[in-house]
Amino acid sequence: MERKLAKKGNMNDRMDIALNKLKSRMTSYPPGMCPLVLYRSILQMSMNQSCGKCVPCRDGLVEAERMLRDILNGDATEETPKKLEALCKMISESADCAVGVVAANTVLHSLEEFADEYESHIKKKRCVGDTQQTVPCMTLCPAHVDVPGYVAMVKAGDYAGAINIIRDRNPFPTACAMVCEHPCEKKCRRSIIDQPINIRGLKKYAVDQISADQVKTPKANVATGKTIGVVGGGPSGLTAAYFLALMGHKVVVYDEHEKLGGMLRYGIPEYRLPKARLDEDIRAILSAGDIEVHLNTKIGRDITVDELREKYDAVYLGLGAQLGNRMPVDNANAKNVIPAADFLQAVARGEKIDLTGKNVALIGGGNVAMDAARTAVRLGAATVRVFTRKRDDYTALQSEIDSAAQEGVRFRTLVSFLNLEQDKNDPELIDALWLQPEIVAEFDQFGLVKTEHSSAYPYRVKCDYLILGVGQRCDVADFDSAGIPTERGRILADETCAIRGVDGVFSGGDCVTGPSTAINAIAAGQVAAHNIDEYLGYHHKIICEAEAPAAKPNKCVPTGRAEIEERDAFERREDFNHVEIPMTPEEAVREAGRCLRCDHFGCGSMEGGRCAW
Amino acid sequence: MVKENKRANSSDSARIDIQLKAQRLEHEIEQAERHDHDSADDLIHVTINGTEYMSIKGVKILNFCRENGIEIPTLCHMKDYSDIGSCRLCMVEIEGYEKLFAACRTKLEDGMVITTESEKLTEYRKEMLRLLLSNHTVDCMNCPKNGGCQLQELCNQYEIKDTPYAGSRRKIEDKLPKLADNPYISYDPSKCIHCQRCISACNRAAVNHTLKSGRTGVFHTVEAPFGPDWKETGCESCGNCAAACPTGALTLKRKEKYHEWSTKKVLTTCPHCATGCQFYLLVKDNQIVDVEPANGPSNRGLLCVKGRSGSFDFVSSPDRIKTPLIKNKTTGEFEPASWDEAISLVAGKFMELKEKYGGDSLAGFACSRSANEDIYMVQKMVRTCFGTNNTDNCARVCHSATVAGLAKTLGSGAMTNPIYDITHDVDCILLVGSNPEEAHPVVGMQIRQAVQRGTRLIVVDPRSIGLTKEADIHLKLRPGTNVAFANGMMHVMIKEDLIDHNYVENFTEDFDKLKELVKDYTPEKVGEICHIDPDKLIEAARMYATAKKAPIIYCLGVTEHSTGTEGVMSMSNMALLCGKVGRSGCGVNPLRGQNNVQGACDMGAQPTDYPGYQKVDKPEVREKFEKAWNVKLSEKPGLKATEVFPAAIEGKIKGLYIFGEDPIVTDPDTEHIKKALESLEFFVVQELFMTETAKYADVILPGRSYAEKEGTFTNTERRVQRIRTAVTVPGDMRLDTDILIDLMNAMGYPQPHLTASEIMDEIASVTPSFGGISFARLDAGETLQWPCKDKEHKGTPIMHVGKPARGRALLYPAEYRPSQELPDEQYPYVLTTGRILYQYNAAAMTSRAPGLMEIAGEGFIEVNYKDADRLGIKNGERIRVSSRRGSITATARVGRKVSEGETWMPFHFPDSPVNQLTNAALDEFARIPEYKVCAVNIAKM
Repeated sequence: MERKLAKKGNMNDRMDIALNKLKSRMTSYPPGMCPLVLYRSILQMSMNQSCGKCVPCRDGLVEAERMLRDILNGDATEETPKKLEALCKMISESADCAVGVVAANTVLHSLEEFADEYESHIKKKRCVGDTQQTVPCMTLCPAHVDVPGYVAMVKAGDYAGAINIIRDRNPFPTACAMVCEHPCEKKCRRSIIDQPINIRGLKKYAVDQISADQVKTPKANVATGKTIGVVGGGPSGLTAAYFLALMGHKVVVYDEHEKLGGMLRYGIPEYRLPKARLDEDIRAILSAGDIEVHLNTKIGRDITVDELREKYDAVYLGLGAQLGNRMPVDNANAKNVIPAADFLQAVARGEKIDLTGKNVALIGGGNVAMDAARTAVRLGAATVRVFTRKRDDYTALQSEIDSAAQEGVRFRTLVSFLNLEQDKNDPELIDALWLQPEIVAEFDQFGLVKTEHSSAYPYRVKCDYLILGVGQRCDVADFDSAGIPTERGRILADETCAIRGVDGVFSGGDCVTGPSTAINAIAAGQVAAHNIDEYLGYHHKIICEAEAPAAKPNKCVPTGRAEIEERDAFERREDFNHVEIPMTPEEAVREAGRCLRCDHFGCGSMEGGRCAW
Repeated sequence: MVKENKRANSSDSARIDIQLKAQRLEHEIEQAERHDHDSADDLIHVTINGTEYMSIKGVKILNFCRENGIEIPTLCHMKDYSDIGSCRLCMVEIEGYEKLFAACRTKLEDGMVITTESEKLTEYRKEMLRLLLSNHTVDCMNCPKNGGCQLQELCNQYEIKDTPYAGSRRKIEDKLPKLADNPYISYDPSKCIHCQRCISACNRAAVNHTLKSGRTGVFHTVEAPFGPDWKETGCESCGNCAAACPTGALTLKRKEKYHEWSTKKVLTTCPHCATGCQFYLLVKDNQIVDVEPANGPSNRGLLCVKGRSGSFDFVSSPDRIKTPLIKNKTTGEFEPASWDEAISLVAGKFMELKEKYGGDSLAGFACSRSANEDIYMVQKMVRTCFGTNNTDNCARVCHSATVAGLAKTLGSGAMTNPIYDITHDVDCILLVGSNPEEAHPVVGMQIRQAVQRGTRLIVVDPRSIGLTKEADIHLKLRPGTNVAFANGMMHVMIKEDLIDHNYVENFTEDFDKLKELVKDYTPEKVGEICHIDPDKLIEAARMYATAKKAPIIYCLGVTEHSTGTEGVMSMSNMALLCGKVGRSGCGVNPLRGQNNVQGACDMGAQPTDYPGYQKVDKPEVREKFEKAWNVKLSEKPGLKATEVFPAAIEGKIKGLYIFGEDPIVTDPDTEHIKKALESLEFFVVQELFMTETAKYADVILPGRSYAEKEGTFTNTERRVQRIRTAVTVPGDMRLDTDILIDLMNAMGYPQPHLTASEIMDEIASVTPSFGGISFARLDAGETLQWPCKDKEHKGTPIMHVGKPARGRALLYPAEYRPSQELPDEQYPYVLTTGRILYQYNAAAMTSRAPGLMEIAGEGFIEVNYKDADRLGIKNGERIRVSSRRGSITATARVGRKVSEGETWMPFHFPDSPVNQLTNAALDEFARIPEYKVCAVNIAKM
């Protein structure tokens, strides 16, 4: 018989267009939706994928979908989920190919994961309470910044207004403009049309037009006579200080470093966040009200926790997680082995570390590891090699990994760490590390792939300087002994930032969650400030003095996302200057114009539709 | 700019409503102009359906079109509160855009060319209606909303008879239960069109946050609080949600009893508190079947549960007194009598007593719940026929301190600014001794709106009232320490130099005396007296003094003390020091208690004042009234109501005429009131019901309620508003003014028979501040706030503009004095009394509304949880409460609302008649009793 190549523009090719649209629907799946509806969609797609050969898949999945529909329509009884489970179990075990097996397993998984939602639909004929679709960017921003509001301000050319809208929830517009991981962009509705809005980029454009310290902070409330002690002058502590000061409280901030900023100053390299720019935010924060700062002051050493509690009407602990973890192996304390956090801090403090001609190895794939790797490149290292056990360990933003690679950082994955080899000439140093090649195995319960040792031999990597990017913890010892509950280097506080059993002491940020992002720490500071105010018996309002311009309908013409470009890799790796190239005005206006104003169109106009707290 | 509205028709009430609406728009545009748009650039030109219009930038298309007579259909829009644009019926075409725009939420811009009607729009609108209809149970014949349903109306208009669609939500919505456990409101999900108006009404208008959004699968749901747990939801049953619902989904249950088209609507004024809400009585077959809100200047379309559901049951209550009653001296029973008999007996007896003991042995009280015209005639009768100034009204026991205090300091004893002015666009509200969410709920809603918009709120109150949940600062004062609090505030203001020197210097006097006095009131000292945190006092002083626009709003928590007048003067002192008088968004604002308590004082039902606060002891004033009334008048100021009772016991008062008040229930120390009434030789009551007080009368004359007569009420903001005849209740009751006129004639004073409107003309002729007020102007849609000096005068929204009425306002230095009865070993707890949302005063009206009784029909006492723990008292347990004057029982509500050592009781309930306990200690100026503080003991039974 005659053979043919696939015809160009065949049905499958044409359907890929639709499938791409499906992909964008998925990326923009809005927060606040019913999980069973999602599962029903998955099930419908799954059953449509059946080739129609085998009974369980072609007929069973249709019945499973009908049961799910009955549950959603309020026609189900308490027997229905049991029947659904039995049916899916049967399909899973009897289907011929993965199409049926995986579809059935997916439903079984939902029965386990969303048992509460199933129960609510069956008993009350509705979703578990407070399920409501909300504006994606505002909801996913941990600090719930009014993103459409400030994007519209940027479009209107009112940059001070944009900064004021940001500061209504987040007093670090500049720092976040540079380094925020922008979870707000994750489910941007614009992805349905093309790609998410470059929200961080627009924020950066705004702060590049007028510096934050040139924009007056809102008028603070009159003085309340209350004083709050804040431990830690990082993003969390200063955010709490900012809002508490706006509420009229006096704030006294303690920080063990010479300067304020916490990990923003001592953790994030200059080339990503120029310290002069960070100072703009800090100056604005300090101008908000009555904030007194004590630097070089460590709690436990210079003032005790009890003294703090005595002295202040309430205390906020925003200590951060500044202690870099080491590994429990021989020679881990060698002079040329350094946790990434300590390495970055030393560089930030201006300590002279010369890596010229050195072979630098780095273990870990997070953002801190990338920061350390790119810093090492700038300190003249001959080679910088990053080792991780598996792809999933690259938790850094893809853009950071790409930038590091462009700057010459080399990556090797699927290796596990074995041991450090002592330098024969100097017992205080190591001169190599041994790595074991790995192969990938099954997934674990969190959906992450596991690894196991490969049959290949371990190998030796020559190394003059080893940086450990394997996590950080908080220095909690003095707090623990003062009766603040802690667990594995973290302070135990709840989502209201209150510490159970310790009246008037609140905590949040990295010292509670473990190392995380600046915006998470900022959100904690904001939540804590409000709850401290409530704790003191007030309900002070923060008045935002800016109002977003009226929304206009968007013509929804697919338009590319304006990415922020970085300077040439070979040029930028030579210095610590900021790597990003500013957006041009026309770029910014076009990008801001892509915003669909979900605060106005769609769920954003409904009561409670702007963000879920 | 605003063209004539084509919807105007000849019906009076509709006309008036439309005029009210038109005023609203003008006001709004003015506001928009003032706040957002300063330059002429904001004037824009737009073209709508080919005609050019001029407007102001920022006005929404739908609002503008409506005011210009261009109808655009909508089912989800709710002016001021909701423009979510969900029904898509208000879509319009705008030149240059392919997409259609929701007119409700699109703002006008210069050069816009808009088309509101086209073939495409009509077809799309029809399609929307078909889709809506596919998810809507169509049982119109049995639907309570039949005739009033906006979906029905639009379907008729667009000729949609049925839908080809199966409906997306039908399957689930038909299975969701109908929620109908609330006594007044029910929700039927199968008729819900998910316009969210109810949710907006609850969250953005009433701001009660009890109606919420929910979800079932892909569908949005309305979580209405009317199911089996309705009592726990925090729902105030105000029904603003039901009023907002365009269909029969969320309705007042009583709608099932009538059809919209079979009723007549009568625009009138609410008979409960002094907010002065405007509403329509819906009348079918001479029965009031419902109440619908009107867009009045003080209520802006809102109503509370009492206004909406407690304003009509009592009117046709079977226990209305229907004929004159004369007590048979031998049996002690009342016997029906003819009007001739009753009139001649009453007139004869009073004249006999006058002959025997002199005119000053007689007294007559007017009623602050009745119309201005009635009150005017009562005081006229007392002055012309009894020949005495012994006339008063129950403002004596609520806001007489305000009348006396503010008259003394500012030169006029009334609320200085309108409600709208002090709840919209202000920076900070200083709320003292006032719980508007319960006592003036529609004001409360507007304060909640303000707070939601970012207005700072300082609550000064011994209890954690609802508003404290949103207050920037709550000063939980010890009851009876207002003067110390205010002096402390002023101490801080002076010390920190936060005062308005220019104002103090040019418009006040005695600043030095005040400064000297408050020097001692350091925050620490005041903190100790008031049991508050000195820091919070200092902050409150700073917050109030430095706010640009900040009204003081206060109520009975300030006045009902033995130092009530000084408390009031302290409020005006604070405002004056900061120059916050005579300005928009500022002022000293007493929320007057009863619907017409302002009017009762204005009309001269006061022993010292003729109508319009003209003093009886001023010869030129007296001569004027002698000339007008053509009779010799007493020059001696009369006794105040609270002095009349002791005088009766002493034998100085022999005859008393009470028009519509119930002092046995409402006055403090019940036993002493009973004794006083028993001491009288002759006692007449003019009433609707057999009240506790009426039982003591020799003759009862049955009058008419607010729904059976023409007249006016003056609300708390000095706004004179009409009441109108809606029904005639069968029986031998007579117009109150006719009864009084007959009596006057029988007592020998030739009083011509006048209608209410003619009486108002007489009032205007003798009362300069009412000079320009007439029924004709009010019926033409004007709303007038006195002073309104002549026919051209537009009334006075804000008083003391330019300078205080007194010329220079008096800064009265008031030293703090403790309440007269403080807790001791025997009676260790402080008792404060007050009102709750669901009842009104002696409950003569509200107790006749079965739904209100179901929601809250039992007396209770709030006890702090620590005290309760100590005494072993459990929440919900009936306990004994006793004072030096009596002992009653009440159900304990244990919690944190009151502070330790303090208790609180409402005074509405006959099962817990708290005024048996209260102290009749009087304020030296206004003779107002100290309801707010007495010493009691509480114990398990």
